[in-house]
Amino acid sequence: MKHDAHYVESLSEKSQAFTLQRLIAELTAFWAGEGCLIEQGYDLPVGAGTMHPATFLKVLGPEPWRCAYVQPSRRPADGRYGENPFRLGKHLQLQVVLKPSPDDVQEIYLRSLERLGLVLAEHDVRFEEDNWESPTLGAWGVGWQVLMDGMEITQFTYFQQAGGIDLAPVSAEITYGLERIAMFLAKVDSIYDIRWNDALSYGAVRRRDEVEMSKYAFQVADVELAAWMLDRHEAEARRCLDAGLVLPAYEATLVCSHQFNLLDARGAVSATDRVGIIRRIRDLACACARAYVGGKEGQRSRLEPEPATV
Amino acid sequence: MSTKDFVFEIRTEEIPAPALTPARLELARRLGDVLGEESLAPASVESYATPRRLAVVLRGLPERQADRFAEVLGPPESSAFKPDGTPSKAAEGFAKAQKVEVTELVVVDSPRGRTVAARKTIAGRDAAEVLAEVVPRVVNELTFPKTMRWGAGERALTFVRPVRGVLAVLDGRVVPFALFGVAAGDRTVGHRILSDGDFAVTGPDDYLEKLRGRFVEPDPETRRLRILEDARAKASAVGGSIEAHADLANTLADLVEWPGLVRGAYAPEFLELPEEVTVTAMRVHQKFLPVRGPSGLLPHFIAVMDNSEDRKGFIAKGSEWVLNARLADARFFFEDDVRHGLESRLPQLEKLTFQERLGSYRAKTERLRELSEAIAVRVGRADLVEAVRTAALLSKTDLTTQLVKEFTDLQGVMGGIYARRERHNDSVWKAIYDQYKPASASDDPPRKAAGAILSLADRFDSLAGLFRLGLVPTGSKDPYGLRRAALGVVSIAIGRNWRIDWRPVVRQAYGLYPADVKGSGEEETLAQLEGFFAERLRSLLERRGHSYDEISAVLNVGIWDFADAADRARALSEARRHMDFRSLILAFKRIRNILGAETPGEPNPALYREDAERALAADFLQARSAIEGFMTERHYREAMETIASIAPSLDRFFVEVLVNSPEEDLKRNRLALLASIRQEFTRLADFSEIVVEKEKTEKA
Repeated sequence: MKHDAHYVESLSEKSQAFTLQRLIAELTAFWAGEGCLIEQGYDLPVGAGTMHPATFLKVLGPEPWRCAYVQPSRRPADGRYGENPFRLGKHLQLQVVLKPSPDDVQEIYLRSLERLGLVLAEHDVRFEEDNWESPTLGAWGVGWQVLMDGMEITQFTYFQQAGGIDLAPVSAEITYGLERIAMFLAKVDSIYDIRWNDALSYGAVRRRDEVEMSKYAFQVADVELAAWMLDRHEAEARRCLDAGLVLPAYEATLVCSHQFNLLDARGAVSATDRVGIIRRIRDLACACARAYVGGKEGQRSRLEPEPATV
Repeated sequence: MSTKDFVFEIRTEEIPAPALTPARLELARRLGDVLGEESLAPASVESYATPRRLAVVLRGLPERQADRFAEVLGPPESSAFKPDGTPSKAAEGFAKAQKVEVTELVVVDSPRGRTVAARKTIAGRDAAEVLAEVVPRVVNELTFPKTMRWGAGERALTFVRPVRGVLAVLDGRVVPFALFGVAAGDRTVGHRILSDGDFAVTGPDDYLEKLRGRFVEPDPETRRLRILEDARAKASAVGGSIEAHADLANTLADLVEWPGLVRGAYAPEFLELPEEVTVTAMRVHQKFLPVRGPSGLLPHFIAVMDNSEDRKGFIAKGSEWVLNARLADARFFFEDDVRHGLESRLPQLEKLTFQERLGSYRAKTERLRELSEAIAVRVGRADLVEAVRTAALLSKTDLTTQLVKEFTDLQGVMGGIYARRERHNDSVWKAIYDQYKPASASDDPPRKAAGAILSLADRFDSLAGLFRLGLVPTGSKDPYGLRRAALGVVSIAIGRNWRIDWRPVVRQAYGLYPADVKGSGEEETLAQLEGFFAERLRSLLERRGHSYDEISAVLNVGIWDFADAADRARALSEARRHMDFRSLILAFKRIRNILGAETPGEPNPALYREDAERALAADFLQARSAIEGFMTERHYREAMETIASIAPSLDRFFVEVLVNSPEEDLKRNRLALLASIRQEFTRLADFSEIVVEKEKTEKA
């Protein structure tokens, strides 16, 4: 433990001055230093970083994998018209996947917090049980939420199953809630008061998204279109699977999932429908996962990495 | 023999708090038991646990098992020796197999006759050798609510959380074994953040002392007491006290290795929120201890940290900030929720699934209105029909409020609070507020009759529906909490002293579901529920101190009026304290054996021949009319004592009268008399179920 007064002081100043983009830069640099490939967020609407193929598909099979990326995560039903200081219809996750889970994974994670200028001995850091399950992905894991001074800043999960397949090796998934951490570091009382960079606040960048997307999701979205999209993309996923195309099939599955969330926010999903739709999406996700690990083609392309220079 | 001390620690990533104490106790108990079976019982077994370790200290462990003497039987003497008296091939082979010299064989008398035997001493094993075998086995047999794999994810390696270190030191030396791929050693670590590096351990006291020097208090009880003591001091410094909440103190003790406490404050404006919300935000969401003053909550809280001190004040400040944010969030939800009346939320219940095959909460609401009304009428509270129908209609609407979605513990409570704001009367809002009570065996029942009726209706509805689907709890699996639901029914009925046969209510609950719900038929569902309720009733009566056989006696003659069954059990216990029931019980056992499955008709007084027979009949008639009166008044104890008073006549009857008379009509008449007595006198309890001392010794 370093208790050098000057060192501590300079780090605290660092925390004070933290912007969202600095937070992202520091965490990304940290995980790059831990051997993670830095991916980009997926370019389709997803509810969580877990749904990115770089997590959902890459945790399958035996190959080692280390990856980190920022994933904008959309949950239409969580939108609050930009009025609630703690809730967003679209928030940012920094997602880290480590396969297999390293023996010192908790220590590595704690070092990432130190990278943000936090002197851990000055705080209360706790790992409290919080297991994770995604019925639409046929996935579950065991782990904790990480609390710092009572604030939940990270979800920490050992993936046990994805797409209905038992995982071996097991991946550790670390998901930082970036807005939460930014609020915590700056001790601001509203998400919208987070400084995105030195010039602009989170509100200046995102509030209009929240207002308009909330209105769209709750009042305007065309229910028939969303239902049609869901049906057509389900059929498309099946067609792709039949053609041996796993990634397009999985993309179509992600579209189904997002359209379902939209229908749900719109209040257009009845009790019995819900169960049925979740099952349909899970069946697709499981079929994609099986195809991903099962196909001979798939195995060859995964096992023989292409040379770095072409 | 000299003894040794042993310390074992399995170090893991953070074990979930609810699993910690059961695992600690199971590990210590099993290890003690298994070593006892191995003739290595230690003088004492101590158990320790923190979120990051489970540990056992065994003191006074014998250093080795005692040698055992064994006699192994071999071939019969006749085939073990040749005619010249020298050992045969069979004897030589046996000696070789038993690793003894053939000259050492002896001849013994055995159940097989004269037999050759090998006598040998089996050397006891060293404690270290036994521990190396036993400890991994016991650890692998520990049970957890949920286990996991990690790293390579090998199927065989599952534990509650990843295992990161194993320490096993006997008398200063490492006991060699491995757990989950981790070799046992003599090193461990202190607090994750407050101490650096690992250290070596020479024995139990060294282990405990070094941990304490490195910010780990290994004893959960010490941590708990430290938390409570310090919390009281910190609360009284602001003129308040903490609410004794044993569960929370235990959980907090299981979440930290080195508990320190900080006091924080939240914005006083939040005291305007319903207290239930503020307290839940603190206690459930943040695991903070609320501070209460003489006239209500104070805007302070106590937080437990896994740290020795809050050196920069960051922890208190952070905790305050988080709680204020939570409360602001809650206020936002509260203000939004009250903009939409409860009744206007009914359509949203269509989209909320109660159970996949049983439909939505909207459908459940309609069933609850009918069932609540029916129960109100049946328990003689027709005056509450309107109140319970209104309460039932609104009962589930709070599931659509934002506050309940965030504060799920407050389901029902929030509905009640919102209904109160909407100026529903006392009966209505309290019924909604209390509908999930009692939440456990130790929880209070609903405060008012309307709440009790709604709670019963909800429980009967769930039980009838889920049993119909065959979703019956098995073993430790009870995902719908049906045992708790049924126990709640029984305790409410008894607490309210509502004496009715609940079968028609179950039938109605069953019938309120659409006819096309597949599953068990009405009779089968009712029969299954009878067994299920009987078990709950039994466990409730056991908690009240009734013995197993008394409960059997009472439940054998009917369970469906739960309050009546409880009264009969109490009367039976009391009556037996006042009077000797032994001869009555023995007489009834005798009647049971004589009658078997026979059901003779009414006795005919014209066929009585013996004095003892006439006397018994007369006593019976007299007692019966007295009992009728007691039964109407529900003076069950007096009724039972009256029944017991005919024991001498019964005894005399069995001594003087030959039941199995050669004359068939006399025999039938005597059986009929006994049958009538049994039929009349076992309406309160089946006395033949009760175990009496004489019977116990006879069986032994």
